[in-house]
Amino acid sequence: MDVDTLMEPMDLKVSELLKEVQVDYSPALTELVDDTVSAIKEAINQIPEGIEVTVDEAPGFVKDIGADKVEFKFKKPKSVEIGGSYSMKCIAKPDINVDLFIQLPKECFHEKDYLNYRYHAKRFLYLCILKKFLKSSSLVHKVEWSSFHNEARKPVLLVYPARKVVEFPGLFVRVIPTAKFLFNVAKLDMKRNNIRALNQEGNTPLPTPRYNSSMLEDMFLEDNTEFLKKTFLGWRELREALILLKVWAQQRSSIYAHDCLNEFLIAVILSYLATYEKVNNSMKPLQIFRVTMDFIASSKSWSQGLYFWQQREVKVSKEERLLYKETFPVVICDSYAHLNLAFRMKSNGFLELQDEAALALKCLEKSGDVAFEDIFMTKIDFSSKFDYCIRLNLKGNSKVCASGFCLDDECWRLYEQKVHNILSQGLSDRAKFIRVIWRNFHSDCDMENGLSTLDTEPLLIGISVSSLEKAFRVVDIGPNADNKEEALKFRKFWGEKAELRRFRDGKIAESTVWESEQWAKHLILKIIEYVLLQHLSLSKTNILQVVDQLDFSLLHGVEDPMSFSASLLAAFELLSKRLRCIEDIPLKVSSVQPLDPAFRFTSVFPPRPHPLASEKGHVPKLRKLISSCIQPLEVMIQLEGSGNWPMDEVAIEKTKSAFLLKIGESDIVKRVPFVDKKLFVRGQHSSMINGLQGIYQMYGPVVRLAKRWVASHLFSDCLVEEAVELLVAHLFVKPLPFTAPCSRIAGFLRFLRLLADYDWTFSPLVVDINNDLTPIDKKEIYDNFTPSRKGHEENAQNISPSMFLATSYDKASEAWTRFAPNSLELKRLVAYARSSANLLTRLVLEDQTGPLKWECLFRTPLSNYDAVILLHAGRLPYPQRLLFPSNSNQGRLVVHGNASKAFQPFMLPGDLRGNSEELKHKLMVNFDPLMSYVADLQKEFNTFKLWYDSLGGDAIGLTWETKKRGRDEAGEGEDPIKVLKGVGEVGKGFVRSVYFLKAPRLMK
Amino acid sequence: MGKLKEKREEKKEKKQKKSKKAKKTNIELLRKEVMLKNEEKGSENIKSTGKKKRRREKENNVDAGIAVQFNKDNLIKVEGEKEKPRKKKRKGEKNNALVGKSDQQDGYAEQNDDGAAGQSLVKTQGSINNSKGQSEAVIGEDIRTHKSKKSYRKKKEHHKLRKSETIPEKIDESVHDGVYYISSGEEDSSKGMRKWLMEYHQSRPGLKVLQQRIDQFVTAHEEKLEQERKEREARAAEDGWTVVVHHKGRKKTTDSQSGITVGSVAPAVAESQLTKKKRKEVGPDFYRFQKREAQRNEILALRSKFEEDRKRIQQLRAARKFRPY
Repeated sequence: MDVDTLMEPMDLKVSELLKEVQVDYSPALTELVDDTVSAIKEAINQIPEGIEVTVDEAPGFVKDIGADKVEFKFKKPKSVEIGGSYSMKCIAKPDINVDLFIQLPKECFHEKDYLNYRYHAKRFLYLCILKKFLKSSSLVHKVEWSSFHNEARKPVLLVYPARKVVEFPGLFVRVIPTAKFLFNVAKLDMKRNNIRALNQEGNTPLPTPRYNSSMLEDMFLEDNTEFLKKTFLGWRELREALILLKVWAQQRSSIYAHDCLNEFLIAVILSYLATYEKVNNSMKPLQIFRVTMDFIASSKSWSQGLYFWQQREVKVSKEERLLYKETFPVVICDSYAHLNLAFRMKSNGFLELQDEAALALKCLEKSGDVAFEDIFMTKIDFSSKFDYCIRLNLKGNSKVCASGFCLDDECWRLYEQKVHNILSQGLSDRAKFIRVIWRNFHSDCDMENGLSTLDTEPLLIGISVSSLEKAFRVVDIGPNADNKEEALKFRKFWGEKAELRRFRDGKIAESTVWESEQWAKHLILKIIEYVLLQHLSLSKTNILQVVDQLDFSLLHGVEDPMSFSASLLAAFELLSKRLRCIEDIPLKVSSVQPLDPAFRFTSVFPPRPHPLASEKGHVPKLRKLISSCIQPLEVMIQLEGSGNWPMDEVAIEKTKSAFLLKIGESDIVKRVPFVDKKLFVRGQHSSMINGLQGIYQMYGPVVRLAKRWVASHLFSDCLVEEAVELLVAHLFVKPLPFTAPCSRIAGFLRFLRLLADYDWTFSPLVVDINNDLTPIDKKEIYDNFTPSRKGHEENAQNISPSMFLATSYDKASEAWTRFAPNSLELKRLVAYARSSANLLTRLVLEDQTGPLKWECLFRTPLSNYDAVILLHAGRLPYPQRLLFPSNSNQGRLVVHGNASKAFQPFMLPGDLRGNSEELKHKLMVNFDPLMSYVADLQKEFNTFKLWYDSLGGDAIGLTWETKKRGRDEAGEGEDPIKVLKGVGEVGKGFVRSVYFLKAPRLMK
Repeated sequence: MGKLKEKREEKKEKKQKKSKKAKKTNIELLRKEVMLKNEEKGSENIKSTGKKKRRREKENNVDAGIAVQFNKDNLIKVEGEKEKPRKKKRKGEKNNALVGKSDQQDGYAEQNDDGAAGQSLVKTQGSINNSKGQSEAVIGEDIRTHKSKKSYRKKKEHHKLRKSETIPEKIDESVHDGVYYISSGEEDSSKGMRKWLMEYHQSRPGLKVLQQRIDQFVTAHEEKLEQERKEREARAAEDGWTVVVHHKGRKKTTDSQSGITVGSVAPAVAESQLTKKKRKEVGPDFYRFQKREAQRNEILALRSKFEEDRKRIQQLRAARKFRPY
């Protein structure tokens, strides 16, 4: 019963999804399709029967695939028929296209045309003629080349109708030639060689199974479609399940690829399940979906191959099955037992597919209602799925097609395989999955001139790390030195990187050693680059690894301040030990707990040791600039219990201060007291996050990037650091539909997407860090959440908190997001996150955007504010943290200010003459003019909202607040310029300039 | 300072352009600088000409292409200290050093003022981590293309700004071209940087003062409590009745066995514990009617949940949450 109630909203959602993606065969659609098809038919009819077709139509193509004797006399196709998913009523938006099968006439082919690519050449020439005539048709908008599942030797034509219908944008008809009855099936057996060029060298000719399959596929395309149609047409649930599967696959670009899954294969797998009664008529679409996932993920049938047995007369013999298994990694034999429909599938693609299916099952099991979003609504592309993405720019690389474009397989596929092999050998168990995909077709391919232009798109590599311990392993131990053969192989693979080493256990073995800065942890990058350069003739500039491009935002100069964390923790240990040892206070210190993010590795800028803070007290050698500001780190101390604490709040605070003073006498820092509850929550948060970052090494770096992003887009006031920590924690503790990120960029991208895509209005985000929330806790959270959304119906902005973040220590989301962000701020935050996520995705996946773009992720446009205040960067407490000095070239300069001389962020040489005691007095703890300025502004004005960067930006954005109430006093008379002058005045000595962009909107 | 920075950037660019030329004319430049220094020494004594000098100096700088380091510090020091001429001299040395090695003692002030310019010139300071100049340089390397574009833009802006340069600093707050000028506020501590610094120092009066304040508070607080108690007693006495409080035994603060300080229970805690203890009612599924009711409630809850889900899905649909593309 419990499961049922859980599934119900899921079913509702699924039916909504189906409504959204299904295409109803309205008269408008059928008319459009029929018109286009008849236009194509008409164009075909115009082609004069019997014209001579020669190589001249497409000499480049014919040459590149290496065909001979291709002349034929044109004859009309034997039949023109609609096939594919349109005929099965299984189209899933947004891909609306109609397959049109054109059966090639037997008269155009010779009996032996299955040899030496003659069939492929003639097939292409036939299409060329068709294209010529289609182009002149007035009903056709344009005709383009595309490929059949990325197979370059089998192009197809895309015909776009001239008439556009709004509901079906981008609809096109795919013209696919078929070869029914053209050749003798026996000649295309897997064992046979049909490319004579391949068997020059040896005695036994090499078989050409992929080449043969490529032709067999065309021969049985119509029959197989017919078979699928029979299964699907009378069964609505099965069709809907197919659509669900398509949506699932469409969201996952790593499996929806030429060497893995396609629409046709999904349908085949589903019909296999139907044939073998693994699914039945009483099942709902979602149940069928689940069964299919289970089948893909864990069925034993895959190891033998899938065979349709229902036609008793055709049986595949045992030897044949064995042969299939040997030839192809995955076997799905068609119902006529002639070919392996999955002949393009590669083993790494299939493993990936199984993994994705297993993840989908996990989603269904674990996440309950949310599974819907995870499975069907979340985009899982290369950039978010894989920890490391690499692009190889192979344009014009002659090595790719050195031995011809088309052998048994095509050169691009062979190259994919080669890259994959190199990487999997180089990374060994560091990588869990390696995907290598090279999509060769782009929309304006000019096929007639040959295949050499198919390398323009970059080859994409995605790598999932198995575990960080393995990934960061410094030494790879190879074979023993005694094992000559293996050692030689190892040396051959690693080249000069291989060295003979003696290990602690006395073993002498070949090995490789990889070094990398401790904080950067980009070891994998080095390995990949090394092996790729070693084995492929590439220049370094053609290898584009997405690894460290964002690190610049976290660095101080050239090093990451994170490298001081060890000494920081040591200092903390010392401090807490001393605190606990203090004897002469009434109540002893019972525990010391760190509160500051720097102690849990999530601070963007953990402090570095200050040169004047050394114990010895001498003025250190002055080689560096000495900062005059010190960033304090908060620590919570707990005293022994006592019944004598006063009840009055003020009195408590005073007593606490007294204690602190007493402790301070023992030579330790002072601290401003805090309200108890907040303190408690912070303590809880701190220890939880601390535990989490111990489990996930990548957590810290991702949080730091996320915090930096939030701050540099001036959201410091909207999203507190702890909230960012929780959001990122969610990515790690609830990684589905992914696995926990193992690289900072993948993690950062997922953070942005979470911010952008999460349904903040209608769902609370429950961050269950220790995985200890009981159903009762969860219910409590939902009970807290529901009233907060009550006001929504009247006014969409009337929800508070707009970002509901619940944890085990804070079930009502009171701790971090109670007051900010409000719904308007959240809206802005979401919009920024979305555009940053899109930019980041583009940067990862697409070619050549230049170095300028990476920094754009952290450079906020200053045009989105009503006014901009620029500060003197030299008066910020930590000027070295400023990423980009801001300049506004928009709006009108209204205020210009000079910098004060009273404050310098660095010690002046004059200051350094005194002894160290005096110097220490000149240091300022926790002095931050930015925060003082913001506080003053907020005190004095209430007509605008401030956006600032607390991490060290030199710009403050300002937006007018449109208040309905009190517009009489505030909104009317005040001149915005005058207000801005006041704003500048408040920041005397700090404000560089104020730009005015937009006047406040007057409320009517 | 913003303007200056821009100026510097511009100069930097010019400098880059001219660097080849500059190298050739190194010696010539040095000579020029010496001349320049002498000139300055002369001029600085006369305060009122400070501004003019600055402008001239700027021109010189642009011409020389290398003698960048002067301007800012001069600006500050124009206030007129005795030390000045000496300082100037050193600065001059520094400029000489630009070509070769850097003067460590004095370099910092400049670096922190002159930021980027200083950095790019003084190559030997590359070892200084964490300095502003360096961090900028690192970024600069990354975004060189962008910077040059930006500096072009800046240059344009600069022309606009140059007008404002002519306004004397003495005129504290004035309006020119619709731009409102604010002084650095050195003597005004009611606003801005001065105020914040003052507040900072005020908020840290030192440990002694803090202890004093707390002692004062505690005495006052205790007096207040005492007074309240007295009043209460007085009131009770008026009625002729006194509330008798029963204390049983002594207050236990140490564990009898181990001698560890346990701490007595605060009254609030004790109360809450009492209320907790009292809850000893009949279990929820003791009577049949309770069970039935519970079941009915559950069904009702389920139904309402279902309705809610449906409503939510309507909302989601309205928000186009079901379109996977």
